Order: sequence, then structure tokens, then C-alpha cells
Amino acid sequence: MRAIGELCLLMAFVCAGLAAFLGVSALVRPHRSMQRMTVLFGLTAVTAISAALGVLAYALYSRDFSFDYVARYSSRLLPRHYSLSALWVGQAGSLLLWCWLTGLMAVLHRCWSRSTPSSSRDAVFGLLMAFVTFLVTVMLFAADPMRASVVVPREGQGLSPLLQHPAMLIHPPIVFLGYSLWAIPWALALVALLRGEHDSQWIRAARRWALSAWTVLGVGILLGANWAYEELGWGGYWSWDPVENGSLIPWLTGTALLHAMMAWQYARVLKKTTHVLALATFALCNFATFLTRSGIFSSLHAFSQSPLGWLFLGLVAVLMAVGLAALVLQREGLRPERPMRSVLCREALVLTAIGALLLLAVATLAGTLSGALSAALGSTPILVGPAFYNGVLTPTGLTLLATTALAPLLRWNRGPTALQRRWIMACCGTAVMVGVAILAADPQRVLLPLVSGLATAALTALCGAVLLDGARREPAYGFAAIARALLQGRRQYAGFLIHMGFVCLALGVTGSSLGKQQQDFELADGQRVAWQGHTVELVRRYQRELPQRIEAAVELRVARDGKRLATLFPAQHFHRLSEEWTTEVAIHSRWTYDFYTIVHRGTVEDRVSLTLMINPMMRWLWLGGAFFVAGTLIRLWPGFGRPAARPSSVPRASNETASRQSTIPAPHRTRRIRAAKAGEA
Amino acid sequence: MSPGKKLVAGAALVAGVTAYMAYDGAVRSWQYYLTADECLAQLDDLSGRRVRVSGGVAAGTLQIDARRLRAAFQLAGRSGQLDVVCDGPLPDNLGEGMDVVVEGRLESGRRLRAEKVLTRCASKYESEEQASSEAVYTADGRAGTRQTRVTSRAQGENAAWGESRGVR
Repeated sequence: MRAIGELCLLMAFVCAGLAAFLGVSALVRPHRSMQRMTVLFGLTAVTAISAALGVLAYALYSRDFSFDYVARYSSRLLPRHYSLSALWVGQAGSLLLWCWLTGLMAVLHRCWSRSTPSSSRDAVFGLLMAFVTFLVTVMLFAADPMRASVVVPREGQGLSPLLQHPAMLIHPPIVFLGYSLWAIPWALALVALLRGEHDSQWIRAARRWALSAWTVLGVGILLGANWAYEELGWGGYWSWDPVENGSLIPWLTGTALLHAMMAWQYARVLKKTTHVLALATFALCNFATFLTRSGIFSSLHAFSQSPLGWLFLGLVAVLMAVGLAALVLQREGLRPERPMRSVLCREALVLTAIGALLLLAVATLAGTLSGALSAALGSTPILVGPAFYNGVLTPTGLTLLATTALAPLLRWNRGPTALQRRWIMACCGTAVMVGVAILAADPQRVLLPLVSGLATAALTALCGAVLLDGARREPAYGFAAIARALLQGRRQYAGFLIHMGFVCLALGVTGSSLGKQQQDFELADGQRVAWQGHTVELVRRYQRELPQRIEAAVELRVARDGKRLATLFPAQHFHRLSEEWTTEVAIHSRWTYDFYTIVHRGTVEDRVSLTLMINPMMRWLWLGGAFFVAGTLIRLWPGFGRPAARPSSVPRASNETASRQSTIPAPHRTRRIRAAKAGEA
Repeated sequence: MSPGKKLVAGAALVAGVTAYMAYDGAVRSWQYYLTADECLAQLDDLSGRRVRVSGGVAAGTLQIDARRLRAAFQLAGRSGQLDVVCDGPLPDNLGEGMDVVVEGRLESGRRLRAEKVLTRCASKYESEEQASSEAVYTADGRAGTRQTRVTSRAQGENAAWGESRGVR
């Protein structure tokens, strides 16, 4: 089996390398027979990687400990579904998965992406295959998933109990899928640069992939946060750890990229920014890999001193050098086509948001590297704490929230209409009223009224935009008008739905970080304690013996104002194989707050030690993720409202009618202009 | 005022506020990151400062109170040992001989008052490669801790409450 796996990897190396060479050479001289060969080699490479992945998965499933990888991450006691998740827990396995996903995306893009001009497809495929070749090379020379065990053990070391959680089954593959998807906008942007194409054609192809990548990576990050919240048992979900920051930074630049793409497509500005962001986002995905695997944090975490991370740093350097050189050469063709006319137009808003996102990304990067940077400058390594990151997040987050709130009421290319101005004033009014009301209720906290005020403004603005849009379509306001506006502007409103997800996220982050309460108690059986309006009764303690672990748990009855709220079972698990304890928290979740309970190990005079926590608005965080997914699905769903294939770029709307329509994204604009003209006639 | 200038003014405002808040946060939260040996060598200079020190829990020095809310141990470097007292939640797997990272403030009397103890694997149990890859996913709020196989079975049995009293 191992030999087959090894052979598959070698074959993938050769075929992906050839596909990369042929594909990239199509940039210089495209040839039809070469096209076929490129696809053939690429498909063979992806098939070989799939086979290698299959071999490793089978080895994990059948517990074949002759594979060093299987012996390290699996055991006979491990449930079967977690055996499969061991596939991406280790370094070699995760690289194999990433490689496979990238190959798969490359093939999907090559065969199904109709919006990419055929002349570019091969070159894009070639670039993606070059990246696959890099990953296979790393595996072959630095982290071989097929390596043989020196001595075949009778039992494997098993999977860390912390990783035996449902979120861990899907979180790593989702993050890697996100990284793989970000490779496609990068490849499209680079090919457009290398070919000297200065129109927005590549963007129409790249936007779908970029949006998918953004959502997938965002959901991946949220799942990771959810895992930390439910499994690690410390009551938090985010701590600005280098590993978390590593995946957050490309997500931030990716958010900026999505908006820059729209500014290019609809307002013909920010072209160089778009290219830089496409390049940076993909480079930062690789940089995240460098961060976690280079060993520069080896003293801090259990990270290794393997050469692998440095290979990724080298790749980042090459990517940046090639991309920036191409950008400098093409800079003349990438000038903005028109000046900004008003500060109250969408491109100004996009520019502001990009600035805030980049500020946050750069600060996060600087904070993450603070230890390494200060050491490089010759001082004692200095690390900044969460207060630094939170300090940066507050003003940048508020700026982002403000731009999000205003977005639906503004137009591309010019200032708002009189009606839109009125709605903007209404938004400001509601924001101030809500903010003041909340501030009056709790004058200690300033941030919560600001965030809630802006959230209200965002909701008001969205309602206003729908009503205005509906009124333009039908003479009178009404359900039919609103429904038509929503249906016809499906893609735009899907984007605003994602914005609402961001608003939920902001509310969740603010609420949970400001209002957290926590206290330790010691309770005997049957004893009650009153805390924060809740009564908690320890009903009983019990212990269960399972083949793989011992579960020691307590039953807690939580009541509020005399009414039963929930029965919770926080526990401590002792894992027999690894001989280690894990804390299993129990959470009662509501829209206003989470009641979070932890039981500690050990008893003193028959009393159990408990920690009770109230984490406000945690559900809003996860709701934000749900909005991201829903919005993306609605946006990407094929069917009605889909633009017909049109020549290179959006027709310019130069007359007054068109400018009135211009809050509607370009694909709908042509049809709408025609309808409006008919109406005027 | 042209739109461009207005935007620049707005950007300068946001960047200024961000820079101030970042500086303020950094001043409040920065800490030296040292090994136990480096910390012992500069103990007098560092007195009263926030530090994050890595080292091993010296054998025979770990005392955990029955409530698991307080621990005392000596952090071993090559050249000596540093007293550590920790009040607050302890990692599930804290044990003797483990590599740990301790965050806290150095008090006079050569003692480190810890707010957080983070465990990481002892290298003798794990190859470096494995350590690195697992850390990617186990890194938690308390920074890249990972469970190890060091915790003694005896420690486990003491704490499981049903065992001696019978299952209810």
C-alpha cells in the first residue's frame, strides 16, 4: 500500500510539473495540441493525488501502523469517524489535503468556468498546477505522508482528545478549501497582468471564486472559534493567537479584495489596489503556513524547527516579487478611469473600508510578529497582548460598521439622490436615538451604544434601500414592489445580507467581550447558589465508565426568577489511552446570553468546584456565520437574474436615467435602463 | 474641499485614533518573552515587570491544592530554578517534568506570580514534527497548548469522584 501511495505522489509531481510548464508556456505561445496535453497532465496529476489521499485514508481506516503517519495520529480505540479526521490533523496529511483541494479547484475552474476567457484558462490552470507541484515537492522532500514506521507498533498514539470534536471534523478541511479557493483569483489576476489585459474581464470570472473563498474561509475561522469555545473550556473563543491570526489576516485582505473588485467593475477605480490585494491574499495564505510551521514561535508554542515553513516563506517571496514586478510594468494601463466626484459615493466608501481592513490586517500581522521583530532588532523579545489587538479593532471595526451601514443608500460614481439623502438622515437619527437610549441605561460603556447605533443604522439603511428600489419599479409602495426589488436585485441584496451577517458578528463580538461575567463556586450535593439572577442547584454527581474514557460529571439545574431554565451536565473526561483529562463544558444558549458552566476536577470535603459564566450575545456570532453562508448561496445560485454573456466590460451609463439606476449592480442595469426608457416613452 | 482631500482627512483621523489605541493597548499589555535561564540572569532588572517565561516544571516541586485553583512549582532552567505561584485555573494536564509557558509578573523575592500557565508537550514524548502539526489545530485561547501523555494515571484516579464513593 505504501509503495502505491509513494508512486502516486511521484506521478503527481511529474504530471503537475509538466502541466504547469505547458500551461504557463501558453502565455507565450498558445497551441491547441498543447492545450490538450496540459489538461491531460493536470487531470492525471489530480487523479494521482486523489489516489494518494485514498491510500492514506484507507490506511487510517484499517489502522495500518506500518504508515508512520497512521501510527502517530490513530489508534484502535479511536472512533472510525475521528480516524478520518486524523487525515488532516498531522502536517503531512494536511498538506496532502490542501494539495488535493487545490488540484480539484484547478480542474473545476479549467473545465467549468465559462466566464474566464478561453485564452487565459490554460495559463491560469498552469499557475495553479505550479502551486500544486510546489505542495507535492514539499511533501516528497520534507513531510512525506507515506513514510514508513521505523518499527511497526501494535497500537498507535491516537488522536489528542481535544481534537475529538465535531467542529474539528470539518474545520481544518474548510480552512484549507478556503486557501485553495483563494489561489484562483490570484492566478486570474496574475495572468491578466502578465498578458497586459487592463479591462475588468478577469474580475467577472474571479468574483465568484473570491466570494466562495471568502465565505469558506470565514466559516472555517468561525468553526475554529466555536471549537475553542465549546471544547477548550475557558469561556472564550478568540485570543489573538498566532495560529488564529494566521488565517484571519488573509480573510481581512480577502474582504478588501472583494470590495476592490466591485469598485473596479462598477466605477473603474482601484485597479492597482485590486491586483495587489489578490496577490497579497494568496501570499498571506502561504504566509500563515509559514507562521505555524517555521519554528519562529518554537519557543512559544510546540511548533517545530522544520525547514517546511521556510519553503513557504520562499514561495511568498517569489509570489510577491513576480506579482509586484508585473504590476510595476503594467502600471500605466491600470490608472483610474475617472476621478471621484463625491465623498458620498460607493467607491469612496469602498476605499475607506479597504483602508480600515488593511490597517487591521497590518496591525494584526505586526502584533503576531512582534516577538520575532523585536528579537531581530536585537532587543529581548517583546510580545504584545490582546489589549493591543482590541485597541486596533475598536476604531477600525467601527469604521467598517459605519461604511457597512451607509452602503445600501449610496450609488457608484456619484452622490446620493435627494430621497437617498433623506434616508441617510433617517439612519443617522435612529442610530443616535438607539445609541443614546442604550448609553442612558448603562453610562459606563461607550462602545456598546456606538455599535448598537450603527447596527440600527445598517438595518434602517437596508430597509430604506429596498423601499426606494421598490418605489422605482412600481408607482406605489407595496409588497409587490418590494418583492420585485428583492428578486430582481437578488445579487445586490445577497451582498447586503452578508453585510447583515457582519453586523451580527460585530454585535456578538462587542456584547461578549464587554458583558462577560464569571465566578467560582464550591457546592455540595443538593446545595443551591444564587448568582446574577440565576439559581444553580447541584443535583448529583455521577461517573460513567466507557471503553475509551471515564466521564465524571455533575447535574446542574439552572433556574431564573423561579422558572426552570435548563439542566446542564458539565464534566471532566479521563481518556484512557492518552491518560489525560479534558474539560467538557455545558452551555445553555439563548439569544441574549450563554450560561456557560465548567466543573473542575477534584473534590474538597465533598464539595465540587464550579465556574459559572455569562457570555452575552454569543449566538449572534454564529448567526453572523449563517448569514454569510445564506448570502453567498443566494448570490452564487445560478438562474434568474443572471447576466447574459456580454462583451468585455459594463456599458457606461452616461445619461441621467442610468445614473438614477446606478445603485443597482451593472448586470441588471442594462435591462432596467431599457425598461425605464420604455416608461418615459 | 475635494472628495479626495475629505477622504484623506477621514483616513488620517481613523489612522490617528487607531495608532493611539494600539499604542495604549501595547503599553498596557506588552511583556518580555524569555526562557527560564534568561529570566534568572536578569532577575533584578525585571523585578515588577510582566513576563512570559518558558521552562520545565522541576521534578518534586509541583503542589496543586485540592480545588485545583492554586499551584506552586519551580520553573527549571539549565542554570537554576525560579519560584512560580499561580492563582487561577490550571491546565488540565499540568504535571512534573512538563514544558510550560508561564505568564505573569515578577515579584521581589525572585518569585513569579503567574496569571496563566500554558502547557506544551515535553519533547521527549513527541517528535518535533508531530508537535508542530498538532499545534496548528490545538492552539487555543491560551496559546497553542496541547495535551500530552505525561499526566499520571494516579492523578487521574484521585480526582474522579465517583470511584471511591460508588456510582450514583
